[in-house]
Amino acid sequence: MDFALSEEQVMLRDGAERYLTEHYSFDQRRKLLDRGGGFSESHWRQFADLGWLALALPEDCGGLGGSLVDVSLILEAMGKFLVVEPFATTTILCAHLIDACGDRRLRADLLAAIASGDMRLVLAHGEEGTRYDLAAVSTRARTSTGQFDSTGHELSGQFVLSGRKICVWDAPSAHQLIVSAAIEGGSGLALFIVERAAPGLTFHEYRLIDGTQCADVDLQSVPGTLLLAGPEAAHRLDEAADRMVLVRVAEALGIMEQVLDLTAEYLRNRSQFGQPLVRFQALQHRLAEMFVEVQEVRSVLYRGLAYIEAPEPARRAAVSAAKVVASSAGRIVGGQGIQLHGGVGMTDEYVVGHYFKRLLAIEKSFGDTDYHLKRLASTYRDSHDQN
Amino acid sequence: MGAGHDGLPEGPERIQLKFEFSPDDEAFRLEVREFLRASVPPDIAEEIRRWTMPTVASFRRWQAIVAKKGWGAPHWPVEWGGTGWSAIRKHLYMEELYRADAPDFFWQGLHMLAPVLIAFGSEQQKRRFLPRILTGEDCWCQGFSEPNAGSDLANLRTTAVRDQDEYVVNGQKIWTSDAAEADWGFFLVRTDSTVKPQRGLSFLMIKMDSPGITVRPIRSIDGRQEVTEVFLDNVRVPLEQLVGAAGEGWTYAKYLLEKERTASAFLYFNKRHLEKAKSIARQTSIDGVRLIDTPQFGEKLARVEADLFALEWSVLRILAQDSYRHDMNAVVSALKIRGSEMQQRVTELQVEALGPLSLRRYAHGDADIDSPETAAGKPPYTIGASSQFLFQRAATIYGGAREVQKNIIAKTAFRI
Repeated sequence: MDFALSEEQVMLRDGAERYLTEHYSFDQRRKLLDRGGGFSESHWRQFADLGWLALALPEDCGGLGGSLVDVSLILEAMGKFLVVEPFATTTILCAHLIDACGDRRLRADLLAAIASGDMRLVLAHGEEGTRYDLAAVSTRARTSTGQFDSTGHELSGQFVLSGRKICVWDAPSAHQLIVSAAIEGGSGLALFIVERAAPGLTFHEYRLIDGTQCADVDLQSVPGTLLLAGPEAAHRLDEAADRMVLVRVAEALGIMEQVLDLTAEYLRNRSQFGQPLVRFQALQHRLAEMFVEVQEVRSVLYRGLAYIEAPEPARRAAVSAAKVVASSAGRIVGGQGIQLHGGVGMTDEYVVGHYFKRLLAIEKSFGDTDYHLKRLASTYRDSHDQN
Repeated sequence: MGAGHDGLPEGPERIQLKFEFSPDDEAFRLEVREFLRASVPPDIAEEIRRWTMPTVASFRRWQAIVAKKGWGAPHWPVEWGGTGWSAIRKHLYMEELYRADAPDFFWQGLHMLAPVLIAFGSEQQKRRFLPRILTGEDCWCQGFSEPNAGSDLANLRTTAVRDQDEYVVNGQKIWTSDAAEADWGFFLVRTDSTVKPQRGLSFLMIKMDSPGITVRPIRSIDGRQEVTEVFLDNVRVPLEQLVGAAGEGWTYAKYLLEKERTASAFLYFNKRHLEKAKSIARQTSIDGVRLIDTPQFGEKLARVEADLFALEWSVLRILAQDSYRHDMNAVVSALKIRGSEMQQRVTELQVEALGPLSLRRYAHGDADIDSPETAAGKPPYTIGASSQFLFQRAATIYGGAREVQKNIIAKTAFRI
């Protein structure tokens, strides 16, 4: 067991911090949110130049074959700087789905385009009333040739999709979407690639409280290319979501570390009742409690990363536990960060409230605390005493 | 790959963080498991199943067994009987020990006094005391706290006055575990009242049957009489029972408390007791549904287990020497806070699972509960669960109260 970062991982982390310190100050980010609409094409190009977009991708398609640990280092740094570009959505979530595609040509083309920075993809899965359920889907896919079997394996891959997707994170800056739908006459969900400019596709764009982009999407007989079908699609979606949960926990960890430092610094510098706030024991204990939370988030993240390839239900338990711990910690650390800053913490011009909002956005994506508690508890079902 | 990508190195070797146990360590785990399966006396296992803590007599018996195997003091230097195991192997050993309902080490002698003796004691002291601790012949108690020196340990007042080649000790200690059965005690006493409180303390080993010692048991809310008050009235202690130098007692006490950085997580206790809670919940039904399968209880368990996963990896990070950007003292205090709260939560879950059955008073040593019918038809661990839950209220008080740990974190992590 060895927790030491390799030399290369240290370079990766330090490089990310250096780049973001220079290009992603709070003021620069504010301008990006106010005038740039919450996405910067030039940042994206630089992510590509830095190798970040290729980091998690397989080596046979222009990727670097990096581990989820490597990616977590980048995400932790991105958390500190509140990066809004859809780095994880494209390179972790969508790339993991594409990687399993049986159409070798499609897979290679898409992954190479992600690595080079030419392609951003997002996942359009959520629908009204499905909340965090990864299996539920009412969007329909019908084959355009009329020839298909229930698994979709024998098909040429051209379909027509109809339905409505909501909460499609990062959708406005995407070139293509991965849309989940049930194949008519088949069972379970399948995944399709849909062009952003495809006929019949309507975007209802909006911004989230953390400044990132989102959209609800209407599909009326939209052409789509089959990516994955059958049990493999559901299975792969589950895996991709778990990977996404972990890198988001890494991002949340970066945020919480930063809130802790900022808050300690503020308490040192701010005086009331004739002395620095940090001299008050009630506030010292609050800081100590935040510190304990952050320690535990890092530990449970490492555990999650260690179990990400483990057989079920160990993987599910590890990932859900990480999300549960990080979500509760996020509320405590983010909330106390605002509280200890007093009125300043409530202002839009100060960063701590933005951290709080990002933590909330992370908490509410890919399963909140209730969802993951239930999922962890599901691993007890049918369990028996070992001794 | 990697050409053209700034700062990013070549492929697969990049993954260095290794989180899994090596095959050798896994084989070691199985060896330990097999030894315990064959060696733990069933009556002792049953005692621990019920009460978690065995009697001192059981400890002595068990220590003789592990000492014979050569595993009596894994954390000691090999020359004194240690095993030379890595931190990870010691971890695996403890995990298996609890899994088998075998006794933990008799902490005061093996884990508290011994490391101090090894570091600061004379050769003669080491030769005299260590072998008997290793075999379980001598059990030790710890005399630090006093009525006016709990969290504020430096305030202690028990005095030791030099009289030729002896010390004459007078004072009172409190919360001393197992003093009635211990053969020896190590005491923190004041040998100089003219200097700063921390500078005037010395570390003295006292035989518990010395004239002038009176032990009065204290019954605690869980019904047991494990903790005691120890009164010392003109107790004469030979000079050769002073450890190290006079006036260095505070240094040695701190060394002792810092030596076992991960012990305060009570990880093995916590894992075992979560399993017990699950067992109870599997064998308790409400309207035909196992408690563990109800959403309410399942999610209650899940909440605790998620935090226990985190606690476990906090321990592993320390054992595997992860690097920290904050002072290590703060990291260890965080572990103590979470570990002690976890002791309360896992035992509380057992009480929750037992419901009204948790209310019957069972106390260690009560004659009527040893009959088998007492527990007939009841879920496992009905006996002992609530007394353990009650006892664990102490977890956030002893060894530096939770509030003191928060002070330490504030001071060391944020340099306040």
